[in-house]
Amino acid sequence: MNELSMVYGMGLAALLFLLGFIGVVIRRNTLFVLMCLEIMINAAGLAFIVAGARWSSPDGNTMFILIIAVAAAEAAIGLGLLLQLQKRFRTIDIDAASEMHG
Amino acid sequence: MEPAVQHTVVIWPLILFLVAALGLVTVMLGLSYVLGGRHDNRLGNQPYESGIKPTGSARTKFSAKFYLVAIIFVLFDLEIVFIFSWAISARDLGWVGYEAFLTFLFDLTLGFAYAWKIGALDWSPRAPRQLRLDAIESNQQRNLPSEQTS
Amino acid sequence: MNDTWFQILGALPPLLVALSVIGLFVTLCIARHERLVYAMTVGGLNLALVATIALIPLGPVAVTPLYIVDFYTLFFWGVILVATLACAAFAMPYLSGFNDRREEFYILLATSALGAMSLVAARHFGSLFVGLEALSIPLYGMVAYTFRTRASLEAGFKYMILSGVASAFLLFGMALLYGATGSLAFTNLIPAGGYDADAGPWMLMGIGMMLVALTFKLSLVPFHVWTPDVYEGAPAPVATFLATVSKTAVFALLLRLFVSAPITDNAWLLTLVGVLALASMLIGNLLALRQDNLKRLLGYSSIAHLGYLLTTLVAGASLSIEAVAVYLATYVGTSLGAFGVVSLVSSPFAGKDAAHIDHFRGLYYKRPVLAVSMAIMMLSLAGIPLTMGFIGKFYILSVTMASGLWWLTGGVIVGSGIALFYYLRVMAILFMDRPAHAREPQLSGTGDNWAQTVVWLLAAATILMGIYPAPLIDLAAVAGITLGS
Repeated sequence: MNELSMVYGMGLAALLFLLGFIGVVIRRNTLFVLMCLEIMINAAGLAFIVAGARWSSPDGNTMFILIIAVAAAEAAIGLGLLLQLQKRFRTIDIDAASEMHG
Repeated sequence: MEPAVQHTVVIWPLILFLVAALGLVTVMLGLSYVLGGRHDNRLGNQPYESGIKPTGSARTKFSAKFYLVAIIFVLFDLEIVFIFSWAISARDLGWVGYEAFLTFLFDLTLGFAYAWKIGALDWSPRAPRQLRLDAIESNQQRNLPSEQTS
Repeated sequence: MNDTWFQILGALPPLLVALSVIGLFVTLCIARHERLVYAMTVGGLNLALVATIALIPLGPVAVTPLYIVDFYTLFFWGVILVATLACAAFAMPYLSGFNDRREEFYILLATSALGAMSLVAARHFGSLFVGLEALSIPLYGMVAYTFRTRASLEAGFKYMILSGVASAFLLFGMALLYGATGSLAFTNLIPAGGYDADAGPWMLMGIGMMLVALTFKLSLVPFHVWTPDVYEGAPAPVATFLATVSKTAVFALLLRLFVSAPITDNAWLLTLVGVLALASMLIGNLLALRQDNLKRLLGYSSIAHLGYLLTTLVAGASLSIEAVAVYLATYVGTSLGAFGVVSLVSSPFAGKDAAHIDHFRGLYYKRPVLAVSMAIMMLSLAGIPLTMGFIGKFYILSVTMASGLWWLTGGVIVGSGIALFYYLRVMAILFMDRPAHAREPQLSGTGDNWAQTVVWLLAAATILMGIYPAPLIDLAAVAGITLGS
């Protein structure tokens, strides 16, 4: 693998990361926020795969395995909290469920 | 080979594929849009023309308890990844790796036993425990309104 | 084989904590018994603490390429374990009013402490990531533990989303660094083609993204917005944990990263860190001025304190590790005390925490010892002489002055001056007339005495360390010498 291909791979990962980040920032529906969060984390995973491919070492893949495990845990907790949010606030709009200020 | 040259060699089938895929879709949708007939009247857009009127939404709510089973499935399913990565290098890792693997499996089983014990795998519509907790909560809401100081 | 046993010995404290977590799961699968679960948690943490102290003569041990157990690690393991034990002591009376499963809280607490220990000992991106997630993921559950209170649920959800974003930033930054250097170990982060190659921008971006994530976890300006909300919504013992263990572990890691990774010797980066530090101490203290909720106030004050700490990274003087060790230890001690009093006044759990400042008005006439302890903690947080907060602040000032960073020295002094107002205001309120509607602190019986003893011990330690700080300084000096070996 040469330097150039890493630029492309990283560019793709960065694009995904940016899309996810924009989604987290502008989306009001918490379900979509969680989805965008997963996109961000997986974009970072892709970046690790690309970097690992550049050095042809398994380190990147190892990190990726750790990342998907953590992403799954995060999704599980996020969905659990989402269900409670719907139950307590009767909405999953993040602004409507925001009561603390100051 | 110069990097730029190699880059064009590697990437052109991909670009061709992209163009072909986009082109195919455009042609299919475009042709049917141009050639196909259109009915723009209100009745024509209903699912059953001249039939019974549809009521309600097509989206049905289904119980959130499936979420729990689904997420437990996903979590345990994911652990297979770790087992695979152990399996492909099992010979190199030797007995130390095997012990580590068994420890991992033990912890996993423990998590499963815990999920079973707390009733996360119960398929019944409403566990008695949940009913009891809801009763406690509604009592609290009636008797002890939470503080609204700040 | 000898080497393996040596490594296991070095990793004994976290292993003991991990074993107690597994033991807790086994216990919960067999029978639910709150006292037993509590005893197992506290027992495991205490054994780990004993093991940590026993490891001091052993010297640095490299546990696999992932971890290093040197005196620096041991010092912060000690701080983390003591803070976790205090949190467990506060959680017991707090949860006695909670009408749901209480046992799981201790599992989450111990797991989170395990993550913090992993973070402190990390010298590799893999262990860094695993440690940070093992610290954070149980914390989401802990913040939202009293999820029937809307504030707690909201705080948990906000913390989860923002923390997830921070994790993603951290990962992407690590991936960029790995892509540029081909190494995941801190000490090997040197670009493959030398600094002049294209690797430069990659690395700067990578370390920048990692810094974003870590400053978020440390709630430094401009990533501090979540802190007051989460502190307010979280149950008081969890807010205690967030303010102490989580901050300590992440800061210890940040310092190790800055000391051992060669890429951080970048003037631009250090100036940026200095600006963050200055902004944190000024904005944190200014925003704390107009708070009426004690948990929010302490949240803003923690932002300012982390700002003071961050100045040591910029200074990079030989004293700085020692200063960080002393300051973090004193900060953790005082924060534990202050949050502990809030937690005790809110115990047992009954909906919203009694964190509003009115609940503390005239506390002296109801629970004199608690009020005096709180007053001592406020003095220590303000950095008044004869408390241990003063020793910490003295170290920070001497480090910034020794390295000629006068603008940061000025920031610390101005920040401390502003901080005096609100700390003294809280102190004065403790001795005012008690209003009729204040929530009366009540003794719940179960474990309340332990928690009170912990608060008294912390207050006593604050004064003792303030008068005779030599033991702490000696320990911190040892921690400082051995890092980097």
